[in-house]
Amino acid sequence: MRRGTTIYLYELFWILPSIAIPVGMLVALVVFAFGAGAAAWGQTLQALPPLEPPKAEQVELGKYLFFEPRLSGDGGISCDTCHDPAKGWGDGKPLSTGYPGSEYFRNAQTLLNAAYYRRSYWDGRLAGSDLPTVVRDHLTEAHFMQVDGRLFAERLKQIPEYVEMFKKAFGGEPTFGRTLSAVTAFLKTITSRNAPIERYLRGDTAALSTEARNGLALFQGKAGCIQCHNGVLFSDQKFHALGVPENPDLLADPLRHITFRRFFRTLGAPNAESYREDPGLYGVTKEKADWGKFRTPSLREVSRTAPYMHSGAFATLEDVIAFYDRGGGQHQNKSPLIRPLGLTAAEKRAVVEFLKSLAGDPVVIERPDWPDYQPRRLGQN
Amino acid sequence: MRILKFFFFALALGILLGTVLLAAEAPAQAKRFPPLGPLPSVPAPRDNPMSDAKVALGKLLFFDPRLSGDVSTSCAACHDPKLGWGTDQPISRGYPGAEHWRNSQTVLNSAHYAKLFWAGEVTSLESQAAAAATGNVAGNGDPIMMEERLRQVPEYVKRFNEVFGVDRPTIAMAWMAIAAFGRTVVSKAENVSFDRYAKGNQSALSPEAKRGLALFHAKAGCIQCHNGPLASDDSYHNLGVPPNPIFESSPLYQITLRYQHVIRGVPEQVYRTADRDLGLYYTTKRDEDRGKFRTPSLRELKYTAPYMHNGVFGSLEEVIEFYNRGGGEDSNKSPLVKPLGLVEQEKMDLKIFLESLSSDGPPHVMEPPEPPPYAAMK
Repeated sequence: MRRGTTIYLYELFWILPSIAIPVGMLVALVVFAFGAGAAAWGQTLQALPPLEPPKAEQVELGKYLFFEPRLSGDGGISCDTCHDPAKGWGDGKPLSTGYPGSEYFRNAQTLLNAAYYRRSYWDGRLAGSDLPTVVRDHLTEAHFMQVDGRLFAERLKQIPEYVEMFKKAFGGEPTFGRTLSAVTAFLKTITSRNAPIERYLRGDTAALSTEARNGLALFQGKAGCIQCHNGVLFSDQKFHALGVPENPDLLADPLRHITFRRFFRTLGAPNAESYREDPGLYGVTKEKADWGKFRTPSLREVSRTAPYMHSGAFATLEDVIAFYDRGGGQHQNKSPLIRPLGLTAAEKRAVVEFLKSLAGDPVVIERPDWPDYQPRRLGQN
Repeated sequence: MRILKFFFFALALGILLGTVLLAAEAPAQAKRFPPLGPLPSVPAPRDNPMSDAKVALGKLLFFDPRLSGDVSTSCAACHDPKLGWGTDQPISRGYPGAEHWRNSQTVLNSAHYAKLFWAGEVTSLESQAAAAATGNVAGNGDPIMMEERLRQVPEYVKRFNEVFGVDRPTIAMAWMAIAAFGRTVVSKAENVSFDRYAKGNQSALSPEAKRGLALFHAKAGCIQCHNGPLASDDSYHNLGVPPNPIFESSPLYQITLRYQHVIRGVPEQVYRTADRDLGLYYTTKRDEDRGKFRTPSLRELKYTAPYMHNGVFGSLEEVIEFYNRGGGEDSNKSPLVKPLGLVEQEKMDLKIFLESLSSDGPPHVMEPPEPPPYAAMK
């Protein structure tokens, strides 16, 4: 026996940790002491990959349909009612409006780059990879446009210009499904264009001002934003609770409270009448651990999409940064990633400056003139 | 043997002749049909008994536009007490952005029907209320949204508790209350001259009306379908009612016509050629039911113009003229509808009788109550 030279397998259980733990601690200390570079959180920011270009005829048709109020139950609202190109493709309100006679209970998110999300909505209740279903949800849900898809298909057939456009785009007559596909094609064109950050990420370091570059360093370092706001969308597409203050109207405005309760009842979430705050992801998963979690929104175009958060609680980027700087709000499920940051006033300004560099050229689409209904030959449908 | 053959031939001939004669005489035999007469007391289903509090709640709900999608369209929007509990248009108004496709039938005496809607699609006032409030070209209401709206109204919470003993209103109970209210919107015999006559007051009908009553039972043959206290057999017939030309020219009506074919699940070929309301066919998908509609009551018709499922006739005169010429053109037309050969005086007598089935003045005219307000929940 050559005692002392053989390391038995079981001995690894204490040898390896006894080496690894101190080394790890040392690394962590060094990283922390040096203010942490991009690599500190193991996350990166990435340029937007181009989407597969949709068929031009479908995009053109989708543009008309996007602005078309006859795609809503009572002909009163269209997609742009809550996703207005002039308001960063949102509605500029803390809480969105919803169907006439109702009020919605969450902030309308921008459609800019919406086609990139893996999950759609604040609570990620639908798969972003299936955009036609997301469009369908907006059209048919009672809190949004409350229309029967079979009804608007017949409406579209009553408009000769649309009949022609559907023929060009799909080789056939207007249908519910083709309508969803056309709007989807249009949405795929509503993406950031020529943002300074995009040029920077592609190698043009001069695309960002010095202050914005300082902001980027803070974003990736001291402020820790990149922990959740990373990847191509500047979103981890995951769900976190930050303790964002609720909008009091959620409960105080009868119309919003009605929509709120109905929404969670239709998701099958229990006892919706007892909710005193928006449970977010819980409504989808019914897991207590998910109570109050919301999907990290993209920060691209963020300077155009105020107010912020699911409840529209913050009117300005400065308000949002102040919220994070004080370590977020109070919440039983609050993410451990949210801690007081100790940013100076100059640092906060730098982060705002950086965030502004995430906005590209405005995506302006003029509302087209609607073609009118025309009578058809009865019996030739 | 030859004698026997002749005997059977003669027998068959006799039976045939007898049948033809009987058939020809049939309209004259009023007793074959349930007699006209005052309405019985209103039947209420065992699972929705009447109470004053329920009726009062139902009245509030009937006039409350929050029981529709965009809070624009209460029951009363298409069933206006001031318009004979219907509308005065050929086709009922629809939900905003749409038109309906059928004439709005009166609520008056609807409690006595076994089948509701023009093609008898539902069999209770409770189901009728639900179907109308949620139908996409009628109320377009989402049941859970409407239910949550009711729960946001303290007055409703209180009243549903009193009436149904529940902590929270449910939408099904709302339909029950509305149905209970509907069961009070019925003709009162003392206000209807024919009912007074039927109860023994000979002078309640004028000589013209009495002649019209005789025509109704005999030469005009109305009683074949318009029988019983409601003056409806609650059954389906095709009369060949002419299409309403408004469907030729109005985009919104055309949209709804096609839409109805889609949602009712007809074969594609039927959809592709759809140019009219096929009535009972949508329910049964049997060709022989094309164009059949449930016989409407003739009570209160003074206040319920225009007439027919598509409102194509604006006046009673037009309706009588239509029947007098033997109805319209349709391969499915009922054999009961034949030219009547009524002379002018007879048509007038018939009209005067028909009007005697209506109340002396517009019945149950009422102002819409103020809907109770929302309040934030405690």
